[in-house]
Amino acid sequence: MPDTQWPVFEVFHQTKRGEPHIHVGSVHAPDAELALMLARDQFARRLECVSLWVVRADHILATSYEDAAAWFQPATDKSYREAAGFRLSDLHRKLQEPDRDS
Amino acid sequence: MILDSAAHVPEPLRSALRDFLMALADDELLLGHRNSEWTGHAPILEEDIAFSNLAQDEIGHALAWFTLAHELGAPPPDRAAFFRDAPDFRNATLVELPKDDWAFTIVRQYLFDAAEQVRYAALALSAYRPMADTVAKLRSEETYHIMHSRGWVQRLGDATEESHRRMQTALERAWPHALGLFEPVEGEALLVEAGIKAGEASLRDQWLAQVKPILEGATLSMPAGAPLHSGGRVGRHTDHLADLLNDMQMVARLEPEATW
Repeated sequence: MPDTQWPVFEVFHQTKRGEPHIHVGSVHAPDAELALMLARDQFARRLECVSLWVVRADHILATSYEDAAAWFQPATDKSYREAAGFRLSDLHRKLQEPDRDS
Repeated sequence: MILDSAAHVPEPLRSALRDFLMALADDELLLGHRNSEWTGHAPILEEDIAFSNLAQDEIGHALAWFTLAHELGAPPPDRAAFFRDAPDFRNATLVELPKDDWAFTIVRQYLFDAAEQVRYAALALSAYRPMADTVAKLRSEETYHIMHSRGWVQRLGDATEESHRRMQTALERAWPHALGLFEPVEGEALLVEAGIKAGEASLRDQWLAQVKPILEGATLSMPAGAPLHSGGRVGRHTDHLADLLNDMQMVARLEPEATW
């Protein structure tokens, strides 16, 4: 049974222009406009904030934890795709000492 | 003429200005106290937190006005808040009425916020510089307050039969006292003449023009021919104020010399 007859809105908070909006929690509200106002009081009064988003939780399409393996676990070793698989350390060292060869 | 600081204000303007600042401070303090009575009791958790924030904001605004009044010879803010009796308070009776149900609380808050918006817009141009500066600081918070209370009026006015009935009843109860927000303080004429504030009658007309479409848009009928309930600005209050002060001042008066 839901804990309220009002829908849940997820709240996203941005600390600085250009930074990503980060999910900080949720509020119950009768509609989006009021959700935004309530989100302001729950999440933006003590944190630095330049922008808030609210999104109805049931408007978010999400993967399920049951299917997590199918979505996210590789069946075979794909570590060669990871950045750690590349031998960049030599190149790094070289770039950090630009004057060595000159 | 611009008056830069308290030192530049001669009598009798000084007393008039001090009384007016006390009226502003008392409105905020008592409304803040009434709103704080919802802490732990508001209809939903989110609103409980939002309304408690709002109560704190109002009390913060009261502190700002008490501080300006103190510069003109009024008691320091804590003494003013906790050691004056009902007849010394200059608030409109609207803010001393018990919180009642959520509908009344919201209607009162909206009518107050709208009055304050109109009042602050005028005070931003005040010839008393400390007043214009203070208003500049407080206005952004008030902008949010009115968004919040207006949002609730618009939703509850026609949400259900019960919410409509409660809102209409609340409006009729609050209205005569809300008109009392525009009761002039003693010395009003001096203050208006000095360019410190706008006349209350013109503020009331602007307020009416603002709240009427919002209330009617929320399917509420404007109370017709409701009598004005005045007296608050000259210290004539309802019995509710004494009860409120008893609650609010009890702890401070137990140990008057305690520092917090």
